[in-house]
Amino acid sequence: MVENNLIYNVQQLSKVYDTGKVKIKALDNISFAVPEGDMLTIMGRSGSGKSTLLRQMGLLDRPTSGGIIFEAMEVTALPEGDRTKLRLTSMGYVFQEYALLGELTAHQNVYLPGMVLGKMGSNYKQRAKELLELVGLGERIGHYPKELSGGEQQRVAIARALINSPSVLLADEPCANLDTISSKAVMETLVKLNAQLKVTIIFISHDPSDKQYAKSLIVLSDGRIAQEGNP
Amino acid sequence: MKTLKVAGFLAFTSLKRGNFGVMLLTILILILVTLNLLFVPSLLRGLVRGANDKLKDTFAGDIVIESALDNPLIPNTNVLIPKIEAIDGVVAVTPRNNMVAEFRYENERTSGIIYAILPEREKEVFTISKSLMEGSFLNLNDRGQILLGLQLAGAGNSNIELYSRSLKKIHAGDRVLVTYGNGIQKSYTVKGIFYSEFIQTDTQAFVSETEFEAVNPLVTNKSSSIRVKIDDKADAAIIIDKISQLGDGLRILTWEDYAGIMRSMTDTFHAIDTILNVVNLLVAGITVFVVTYIDVTNRRRQIGIQRAIGIMPGCIAIAYLLRAAFYAALAAILASLAFLYVIMPVEAKYPFHFPFGDVNLVLGFSALANAFFILFCAAIIAAFLPVWIALRIKILDAIWG
Repeated sequence: MVENNLIYNVQQLSKVYDTGKVKIKALDNISFAVPEGDMLTIMGRSGSGKSTLLRQMGLLDRPTSGGIIFEAMEVTALPEGDRTKLRLTSMGYVFQEYALLGELTAHQNVYLPGMVLGKMGSNYKQRAKELLELVGLGERIGHYPKELSGGEQQRVAIARALINSPSVLLADEPCANLDTISSKAVMETLVKLNAQLKVTIIFISHDPSDKQYAKSLIVLSDGRIAQEGNP
Repeated sequence: MKTLKVAGFLAFTSLKRGNFGVMLLTILILILVTLNLLFVPSLLRGLVRGANDKLKDTFAGDIVIESALDNPLIPNTNVLIPKIEAIDGVVAVTPRNNMVAEFRYENERTSGIIYAILPEREKEVFTISKSLMEGSFLNLNDRGQILLGLQLAGAGNSNIELYSRSLKKIHAGDRVLVTYGNGIQKSYTVKGIFYSEFIQTDTQAFVSETEFEAVNPLVTNKSSSIRVKIDDKADAAIIIDKISQLGDGLRILTWEDYAGIMRSMTDTFHAIDTILNVVNLLVAGITVFVVTYIDVTNRRRQIGIQRAIGIMPGCIAIAYLLRAAFYAALAAILASLAFLYVIMPVEAKYPFHFPFGDVNLVLGFSALANAFFILFCAAIIAAFLPVWIALRIKILDAIWG
């Protein structure tokens, strides 16, 4: 059990992009906490710092200052190897553009992180199959990404993010490239996973109607928290 | 073990589902690199072997025995030769005498060395008797007959190397006027003309020992040199040691010592071989690097995704190294098969011609192993560099560029 039931504790987080000529402050002294089992949506206009924030939380990038405590552990300054290990074991990340490996089938894409983790006695292939069924793609496990629609690819990405039973699933505008029907399917899948697997889900959305799927909300504006609380 | 399993899985799936054209091109380039690695050493080995064989079979023999005393003639050869023949590993022995001479035919004049030989013994040690272009080989008691090398005779072959210095148009059956170094002048019928394809041999002339003794009676039961042929498996050093125990005053040389120029040539070929191997290593390395670099650059996004989902950089690097090793192994096997079963047979049918004869490609196990080793090293190192560069790029930059 994580101390105080917090999965994330973000403290005075700042991220400055230095292009050489100008410095762009993408995140400006942000602090907030995410309880276990939450379904948090981060919203805001384009350029407000949503994706930058999620990448810091997903350990894909390093902040300029401030800290992130994940599962009661300060992870900001962790060496790259430990960050990679944490991404593999405790975090699932879903990219806006699916980010599937084109040479692998849906099944292989999903079970690859399980294979990498290689827990003793784990049947990652069977679990991958179950996860694909859970996201409604049980019939398409042998298909390659280019043979799947955008919504299907995103659901494969979600299944992949869950293969190692992570504590948190981070989704960066998972529906940005999808039509309305596919978007609905993806969002309902996330809600189902949050309810059934008790996994904490943090997702970015620019669509105000996606608030309905969240339990809590953060709205960013110019790298600062403009609103925080219930959706 | 787990890392290897995942790396193997990534390598296998990328080979299976990767761009077939790129894979084919990569393997084709590596095949050409391997052929290059095999061809030059094989040709140089063929050159060395061809030259050495010609040297031993037509010019020196395996072991050459000379007098180490002030008198250049070895005495009592009738006693010495049977003792040498009795040594284990000795196949045949033949004595020779020689004298410088000038040859004249019509308006042409040239000089060379005439060797006095015992024809039947000579056939056991040398292969000159099998290289006749015209006429026939000498017999033991032939008198007034001479055997000429093609470079001496010319025999109408204006394309040979020393034609301009030869007698040019003399043929078997013609008469040649010979003036020996001791001043004796004699006219001989050309019994045969030989072409051993070894230039030093083909500038020689031969008469029977009987004929030579008539010109120079001082050489009876004496020889200026004794040539020894030994078994291929025999140890020349042991035989030389045993011969040296037969008497004092003998200088015993291996064929390499006798013809120092061949050792020098062999050393030079080895040096060229080494230099070319280094050049080939660089060519192979740069080729694989370019191909892998383009491949990895195209897969940078894939590498970024793999890192983002938690695959360790080492694992990703190993996957690429396995791919490179697979390319190298397949190219090495295909190139070897093409070399052994296409290039070598074709070259054997249409061999390269050198002053010492036709040269066949010689591919030894060591050359093959060397080529494989060079290719593997080049492939692994060249594949590692672009992957290492790609793995140093930030994950997000790798995914989104």
